[in-house]
Amino acid sequence: MSGIDAISGLSGVPASALSALQQSSAASSSASAASASTSGSGSFATALTGAVDAVQGTQETANTLAVQAVTGNLDDIADATVAATRAQVTMELASTVRNKAVDAFNQIMNMQA
Amino acid sequence: MADAIGIAGTGLTVHRKWLDAISDNIANINTAEPMSGSAFQARYVAVQAGPGTSGVYVSGAAYGSATGRVTYDPENPVADADGYVRMPDIDLGSQMGALIMAQRGYQANAAVVDRAQDAYQAALKIGSNG
Repeated sequence: MSGIDAISGLSGVPASALSALQQSSAASSSASAASASTSGSGSFATALTGAVDAVQGTQETANTLAVQAVTGNLDDIADATVAATRAQVTMELASTVRNKAVDAFNQIMNMQA
Repeated sequence: MADAIGIAGTGLTVHRKWLDAISDNIANINTAEPMSGSAFQARYVAVQAGPGTSGVYVSGAAYGSATGRVTYDPENPVADADGYVRMPDIDLGSQMGALIMAQRGYQANAAVVDRAQDAYQAALKIGSNG
């Protein structure tokens, strides 16, 4: 009975994994589009600051849970590893967006006739 | 952000609680109670799907028979004057079956976390070697 629950819970995951993927790619493309279209208003800076804040938040959560896990105050060990995984993915997303921006900046700076 | 990692995390939590319930049931499978009280009641985890695609949550617990199996065991210190005790009405075979399902469900959700991480990292690599 509960085994069927577990399996049906799994069958719903690929679709949501795809939608989450689309969301994250949409977020990065909108961030780079904002940096290209606006100038001076700090739109990309705002987006990047928000991303850094999000990274910091997930890492703080992961740190708290890791400390709780090793001190025996955590019921669910998976909570700590899932939070660490989430923090790592968020960090890689922010770092990728930042690197793309730096690449674009360098490409423009290297322009010459 | 209700992503696949978080959704699989709720599945991990539910299956961990199911494992806890099964281990408690198996640990108490020989717990005799006096006829004046109620037998050890097996605990069954009730689950509920979250709204939308937010995963699965434990909605409560259901309990087995309080009457239990009335067993003649006059040697038992808690036996009544007629020699009867209440043994828990738990089927070890079905508990072991549930144990396998809970363990495999936990592993499946852990695999989803890994696959989701692989998928996100693949998404981040798009265009990085151009």
